[in-house]
Amino acid sequence: MRRFRFLLPVLAAVLFAAGISAAVSEAAQRKNLLTIYEGPKTMESSRTASVSVNGYELFVYDVMVNHEHIWNANTQPSRTPMAYFDFRGEVAVEIRMPGLEREVESAEVLPGSAGIVPEVQDGAVRFSLSEPGQYTVVFNGNVNKALHLFANPPEENVPDRDDPGVYYIGPGEWTMDAIVLKDNETLYLSGGAVLHSIVSVANAKNVRICGRGMIDGSDYPAWNQPGSYARVPINLDHSREVTVEGIIVANSNCWNVNSYSCRDVAMNNVKVISGRQNGDGFTFQSCVNHTVTDCFARTWDDSLVIKNYSGSSRGITFRNCQIWTDLAQSMEIGYETDKGLTLDPEISEVLFENITVLYNFHKPVISIHNSDDAFVHGITYRNILVENAFMQGDNGNNKELIEMTLQNSSWSTVRDEFGSIDDVLIDGLTVLRTADGKIPRSRFAGQDAEHRITNVTLRNVTILGTAITSPEEMKISANEYCGGITVR
Amino acid sequence: MNLRYCMVFLAVALLALLPAAACAETLEDGEFLVTIVRSPEQAQAERPPCFPDPADLYIQLPETENIALGKPIEASLHNDVYVSRNLNDGKVETYWESKGFPAEMTVDLEGTHTVSAVAFCLNPSAIWEPRTQEIAVLASLDGEHYTEVVPAAVYGFDAQFGNRIRIDFSPAEAAYVRVVITSNSAYPAHSGGAQVAEICIFE
Repeated sequence: MRRFRFLLPVLAAVLFAAGISAAVSEAAQRKNLLTIYEGPKTMESSRTASVSVNGYELFVYDVMVNHEHIWNANTQPSRTPMAYFDFRGEVAVEIRMPGLEREVESAEVLPGSAGIVPEVQDGAVRFSLSEPGQYTVVFNGNVNKALHLFANPPEENVPDRDDPGVYYIGPGEWTMDAIVLKDNETLYLSGGAVLHSIVSVANAKNVRICGRGMIDGSDYPAWNQPGSYARVPINLDHSREVTVEGIIVANSNCWNVNSYSCRDVAMNNVKVISGRQNGDGFTFQSCVNHTVTDCFARTWDDSLVIKNYSGSSRGITFRNCQIWTDLAQSMEIGYETDKGLTLDPEISEVLFENITVLYNFHKPVISIHNSDDAFVHGITYRNILVENAFMQGDNGNNKELIEMTLQNSSWSTVRDEFGSIDDVLIDGLTVLRTADGKIPRSRFAGQDAEHRITNVTLRNVTILGTAITSPEEMKISANEYCGGITVR
Repeated sequence: MNLRYCMVFLAVALLALLPAAACAETLEDGEFLVTIVRSPEQAQAERPPCFPDPADLYIQLPETENIALGKPIEASLHNDVYVSRNLNDGKVETYWESKGFPAEMTVDLEGTHTVSAVAFCLNPSAIWEPRTQEIAVLASLDGEHYTEVVPAAVYGFDAQFGNRIRIDFSPAEAAYVRVVITSNSAYPAHSGGAQVAEICIFE
């Protein structure tokens, strides 16, 4: 026995460490929590904004956005501050904006539905948060340099970095050409991590992408510039059982979160901010059974998109999401509805629920552009809150609040056949502000007697404080190839 | 508990806590448990450690000059377009393939050198499946009389390790280096030939 005595201190130490871990774990369950992530040592925190939570300074990233609300192939993005942390309890947030041309005199915390009224004093903005969520702070009534503050809930189910199926990327700045995930693999991107790369999941199943870190596409020029090409940060292709959770996607040089011919995909608390050409947010083509919850998209192209590229789309849900659309549409079905020239293409069982549109600057908020020959049906929009419906359109066109069409477009593949739109429900649509203080128009245009828009019901619609109960009040224009459009 | 036991205790306790302590600091602040996740010291963006660079596994070549590069070279008959000038053009994407065995190549070093290593490279792409080749190395000062400096032996080429081999030997004076290859496990069913993308010779 004497020869094993050397093991005693080892055993005691392990028990000691285990005891501390257990104590920490117990504390984690009973205490209010706050997690702060240092930024990479290779990067500087923003000089535009400083943000602290309970007195702890956050690292503030300057990310690309775009205030040009019309298409420009050579557009130049600008930057806006973004910061994030995790918490549970009630925390005090303080923001200063040394990068603004004039001192902060007023501030608004979005979404307004959160009911947070900040205190502004001596250039500092202060408020409390008790619910995790995505918050945006607008200063002096100007969206320029609006701060995006992602207040995450505490992380759960953090993968084991020693698991051979886990790629664990810790805090810091990292770069590699591409990451390809295969069956049963997990990519964890820690808070404080900035990853210059793209993540591809092709022909794979049971894949997880999670964490609090950021995938940053700023190391590549916009995809349409000479010598560049599209590098989609999250690209799912013919895969299934994929989850994407918690991460931030910023500065992409093209689309952001893409899924093509995939099924059984879940995304939660994913934040997208883009300011470059074709920077669509969550874009799904010919997908089945996708659920997007508690996500955020500020984009310089369509924010939430469903298309048909190779087969039909079915069972797509966006729930509890916030969007800010600097260009194009907020919730777009189309234009491409049969790009793959498949037989009997459909888009069906689509639900947009509890969607808050912070700003919609360009084209319609709600749109179905059936620009090929698909049968689009079973589409529901429920509890849509548009805080700022500022559709400036394109030279007088595309300024509608809602637009549904069966018409060719520059994105059409099928030009000599047309589809139809049937069974659309908009239940709960509230618009708080419009650019001119008037109720915006909405437009419905079928193609011919065989290709119609039918059975569209709008109810519980309130625009600028007025309950809307008729197509006339709604300023709906519908051609003769529409039927059963009701507002009540 | 004596001092030695105390030290062991502390060391093991610290090791057990290291994963958390390495990048995160946790502290009590009033009602809050605050965790500050620290970033590592970095001078520039790096490759994530969980994705090791495949090149890190490559067999390393000497850092000295490759004195075979671009020198006159003669080789046995080749298959198809896989000519001898591919042997020392500095490109692992081009290669020489002999027509049968034994296959020989002779590099004229254009002067006498003290050579101590040779390396043979194939394309590192994984599509080049693992193979072995039997190789001998000879040296000559006059281009007529050769002395064996490395006897024939079988060497493995594997894309995982860069599809390259390195042979070190006792330094030998040489103006000409001849290589004789007598087998290639990857090509028994085809024309039967040696394959080399690059021959590298080092002093």
